[in-house]
Amino acid sequence: MSVTAPAIDAIPVRAVRTSRFDPSWLLWIAIIAVLLFLVVSPFVYLVITSFQTERTGDFTLSNYATAYGRARYVEALFNSLKLGAVSALLAGVFAVPLAWAVARTNMPGRGLTRMLVLATFITPPYTGAVAWILLAGPNAGWLNRFYMMATGAEAGPFNIYSFTGLAVVIALYSFPYIFIFTTAALELVSSEMEDAANILGAGPWRTMRKVTLPLALPAILGGMIICFLEAIALFGSPAMIAIPARFNVVTTQLFQFFGNPVRVEVAAAYAMPLLGVTILLVLVQRLIVRRKGFVALTGKGGERRPILLGRWRWVVFGYAMFVAALAVFLPYIFLIQSAFAKAWGRGFALDNITWANFHFILFEHATAAQSVINSFVYGGISATVAVFLTLGVAYIVARRLIPFGGVLGFLCVAPFVIPGVVLAIGFYAAYAPPPLALYGTALIMILAFTTRFLPVGYVNASAAINSLNPEMEEAVRVLGGSRLTALRRVVAPLLKRNMMGAWLLIFIPATRELSAAIFLYGPNTKVASVMIFDMSEEGNFERLAALALVLQVLTLPLLWIGQKALGRDFMLRRNVT
Amino acid sequence: MSKLVLKNVAKRYGAFEAVADFSLELAQGEFVSLLGPSGCGKTTTLRMIAGFMPPSGGTIEMDGKQISSASGVVPPEHRRMSMIFQSYAIWPNMTVGENVGFGLQIRKLSRAEIDRRVDKILDVVQMRNLKGRYPAELSGGQQQRVALARAIVVEPEVLLLDEPLSNLDANLREEMRFEIRRLHDEFRITTVYVTHDQSEAMVTSDRIVVMNKGKIEQIDAPHVLYGRPKSRFVAGFIGRTNFVEGALQGSDVRFDGFGAPASALEGASGGGKLLYSLRPQAIGLSTQKPGGSGLAIEAEIVDRSYLGEYWDYQVRPQGGTKPLRVSTAPTAVFEVGSRVWLEIAPSAMVRVE
Amino acid sequence: MKRLGSLALALALAFLPLAARADLNALTEAAKKEGELTWYVAHYTSEGAEDLGRGFTEMYGIKVNVVRTTAQVAYQRLLQDLKNNQTICDVFSSTDLGHYARLKAEGRLDKYVPENTPKISEAFRNFDSDGYFHTTAAGLVVLTYNTAKVKPEDAPKKWEDLLDIKWKGKVSTGHPGFSGYVGTWVLSMKKLYGWQYFDKLEKNKPQIGRSINDTVTALNAGERQVAAGSDGSTLFSAARGNPLAVSYPSDGSVLIISPSAIMKGTKHPNAAKLFMEYLYSIEASKINAKHFGIPLRPEVPSPPGAKPISEIKVIRPTVTEVEKGIPEVIEQWRDTFGN
Repeated sequence: MSVTAPAIDAIPVRAVRTSRFDPSWLLWIAIIAVLLFLVVSPFVYLVITSFQTERTGDFTLSNYATAYGRARYVEALFNSLKLGAVSALLAGVFAVPLAWAVARTNMPGRGLTRMLVLATFITPPYTGAVAWILLAGPNAGWLNRFYMMATGAEAGPFNIYSFTGLAVVIALYSFPYIFIFTTAALELVSSEMEDAANILGAGPWRTMRKVTLPLALPAILGGMIICFLEAIALFGSPAMIAIPARFNVVTTQLFQFFGNPVRVEVAAAYAMPLLGVTILLVLVQRLIVRRKGFVALTGKGGERRPILLGRWRWVVFGYAMFVAALAVFLPYIFLIQSAFAKAWGRGFALDNITWANFHFILFEHATAAQSVINSFVYGGISATVAVFLTLGVAYIVARRLIPFGGVLGFLCVAPFVIPGVVLAIGFYAAYAPPPLALYGTALIMILAFTTRFLPVGYVNASAAINSLNPEMEEAVRVLGGSRLTALRRVVAPLLKRNMMGAWLLIFIPATRELSAAIFLYGPNTKVASVMIFDMSEEGNFERLAALALVLQVLTLPLLWIGQKALGRDFMLRRNVT
Repeated sequence: MSKLVLKNVAKRYGAFEAVADFSLELAQGEFVSLLGPSGCGKTTTLRMIAGFMPPSGGTIEMDGKQISSASGVVPPEHRRMSMIFQSYAIWPNMTVGENVGFGLQIRKLSRAEIDRRVDKILDVVQMRNLKGRYPAELSGGQQQRVALARAIVVEPEVLLLDEPLSNLDANLREEMRFEIRRLHDEFRITTVYVTHDQSEAMVTSDRIVVMNKGKIEQIDAPHVLYGRPKSRFVAGFIGRTNFVEGALQGSDVRFDGFGAPASALEGASGGGKLLYSLRPQAIGLSTQKPGGSGLAIEAEIVDRSYLGEYWDYQVRPQGGTKPLRVSTAPTAVFEVGSRVWLEIAPSAMVRVE
Repeated sequence: MKRLGSLALALALAFLPLAARADLNALTEAAKKEGELTWYVAHYTSEGAEDLGRGFTEMYGIKVNVVRTTAQVAYQRLLQDLKNNQTICDVFSSTDLGHYARLKAEGRLDKYVPENTPKISEAFRNFDSDGYFHTTAAGLVVLTYNTAKVKPEDAPKKWEDLLDIKWKGKVSTGHPGFSGYVGTWVLSMKKLYGWQYFDKLEKNKPQIGRSINDTVTALNAGERQVAAGSDGSTLFSAARGNPLAVSYPSDGSVLIISPSAIMKGTKHPNAAKLFMEYLYSIEASKINAKHFGIPLRPEVPSPPGAKPISEIKVIRPTVTEVEKGIPEVIEQWRDTFGN
């Protein structure tokens, strides 16, 4: 049988090679190598180091003996657990009513409330802690002064330098996590679920108790677990508040092990419970969220109408503004007052106003301005690397390009269970000493930030890739384009907005990162967060407030861009965590 | 005394009238459907009956007592009604048994009594074996049965259904129609059923309220609605039909390609255009000129489709411009282009506005 | 031996000025080629350190990376640098003498005796007989108080007054785990009164900051009323209009001698040497006095409000005591105060 060539012009297609070498494999191999370098190796080093003798590197258990050998050290562990639990509960008290009011009711000012939660979310916890020192210092804090003025009492009721004080401050700046989870869940509960209970005779409160809350409960618990983990991994706020309050938590204790003399090995051993608790709780969280019977059914007709609160709406609004006052209004009023004050304690007098603090940090201080630049440069590079890397991995996983691609995905989200402090110790152990000798370099900071924020990037990237129909790439390949061409010409352009969103979601927190930076910075790679922390060491609140405000103000245009391109609450969507 | 009375009920959103001047009386045990295209105000009416929204005007009474008016509304939880939702609204955090027992629990029945009634109703909807399951493990049809059981078990004064079958696939939908009617025949609960699917309404209902743009077009039993639609909208919405337009010429009415004596046609008077609805099934088709009392019109087959249960022909009367649709038995086969005779009984032509 | 030393010094003083000047010129040239240096400094306040760095840059056009932090944090950084074989710090200025003893013993310091040594007040000369580290700042830990809340007659007069129950919730201190000044003060108190001093102090619930300068903030804000603070930063703040005063304790103000040293293996050896010379210059002393530090050069008058050092009873632990004692008291402190 003879076949005639079809009568179309033959366009030269690359020579047909079957199952020989596909150049895209090189890229995949490179990605695996990078992930091993970023995620696996620091983790492995952390574990190995915890069993090593200093200098010789021989196997030993003595690091563990040292790390848990003093009552004070063990106590710090329990303090952390207690702090996590109390903070998470408080955060729930702040977040759940707000989430419910914003997602499900006709409370006035819902948009405003969302905006204020966003403002809370982008306030670094250490900035919040500083503001609260100004507000609730036991004698000089403004709240106490007002109280004393109003009542004539000798002393005010608030003391930031206490366990409760620290827990409140942590809760105030971590409750947005619960808010995000809970609003997402409540928005999935259709009004008909509640109507069904209503029509069967259940009043509004019973409906909330029996139907709405149980449906949102896994999300609330999931958010609270995130808050718990955030609280136990936090370094800045405890360092500023727990030291004067005279108790220790795991992170401040870890910092001491990095002190005089430097005992990385002991620090590594001491970091293990933090790591263990985190891994365990992340697993628990996943189990809760996926538990049978809690999967919200979202049929069609899942219309959502706001619950009419009647006169109660003002009560609920009042509560929302109360939380906002604690997290945003009061702190920022007094941060701004401090930043423009000659001496913050002298209050709102005209002769107390000055630009000098801004002038000092921007033009006189040798490293403050540079530290802000460092923050933005490192954050920018980390965000860029993380976005492209996770996009690549998400693509490989979604299209099943290599066997065991899922492992890559797992590696990308794994850093989520590694607290920043622990990650930093791992990086220090792995890459600070020779042969790589990255100690004190910008590179080690960038690598650590990249690793820290890989999960954010990956969650975003895989959601984006899964929303792309593979047929669009298949169309490229049918026309003779390679997979890389498809990626470059079709996938990447389609995902531009997603990638930009992910970039901002990494960049903004990376410019504020302190927990890892504090262990990894060198004199020439100081970032703004570390600078702020150093200033707090001297109690230099006026200049510190000025620097913190500069950092916040510089973030605003980015937020604006993000909201323009990606929608008003792009920071407050579920994929943030 | 009527069970449920709606008097001049209206719902306005600003200048937009979602429901206007809606009046309806339901007898005890009656099954009434609200039928209309989406956006016609049927669901809004249902939600007003349920008490989820206050009317902007008019009143709703149950057993002679006013339960809704513009000035006040008895909240849904105190109306002793129950409702089935488009999304079923089965609570995913409760088992089938817990879902069904919820309303009884609210009514503070004893544990044993709740169990007994739940088991009984689950038997009725053939779901007893799935009592301990969570809704996420159930199919759409099973969830629908749970929703039915949950609504009926509380023995409501009025049962409301909001497009309950729209999320099911075609076969299941048909099965559930009969199921709903069966349950109604068994329990005789006064029922208001909202749907946009005419056959659902026809299978289940004693009477159908056809709604369009917030207004009632016609209220009648299903066969009356089909046979004697009062408006062009009803005629077009319920079943397929041919609209033919004519004008009086002497003692005849002239249509496109044929004519009929005005005396044989209903409402054939006046000088303007006369619009009639003519069902495709009401037209006979044959190769020989029919000898009956009806109109016999010579025509040509223009197009045809075979739909298994019937043939759908497009037939153009000789001298006419537009073809008429004619349905015949699957055995009546005519080739495209062949010449045929149409037979139309003038009484089958219904005058519509 | 000592006499021989003085004789040599006298000879040097007689013959060296010209030669020294020539050497300094060569040093300046070499230093300018290096262009910059990094200075880990725990002396002074931030402003003082920044001012000194800027003064040097203005004089020689050599950039100074001022890394100002508390003594222990500076040392911690330095140790991490060394552990990772990095030489980032060129000149190291801590307030904890113990750091120098250890660094010297480990051979981490470069030997260099500034040419300007003879020009500073005799009390500060030749602190390390081997010439590895040199006094570049001195200050006192004294009793300080908020004058708006405490009348001078009610102010504490001796260290034990801080233990009085009337100061409960009103005392402020720094943390020996961070500050060299505080460490030296704690060591001195322990030597005078034993550790019971701190067991009792703990009962008065002091607010513990990190740097000794934290006490200034705490007093200024009215957060606390009395403190163990540094005279320099307290008087500096008082001069700016804040309600602060110092009270020299009758049982002895704690004198803190703070040295500086050049790190071995520095990448900017000449700039580092020039910087050491600069710290002994009149200009540096003036800047120092401006920030209420004790000027090293006798030509520069003491800051206003400060008693001349000759009129004050001072106490001071020895280098050996500091070296061994401070790590010890840090641990004791943490056990007593909780962190």
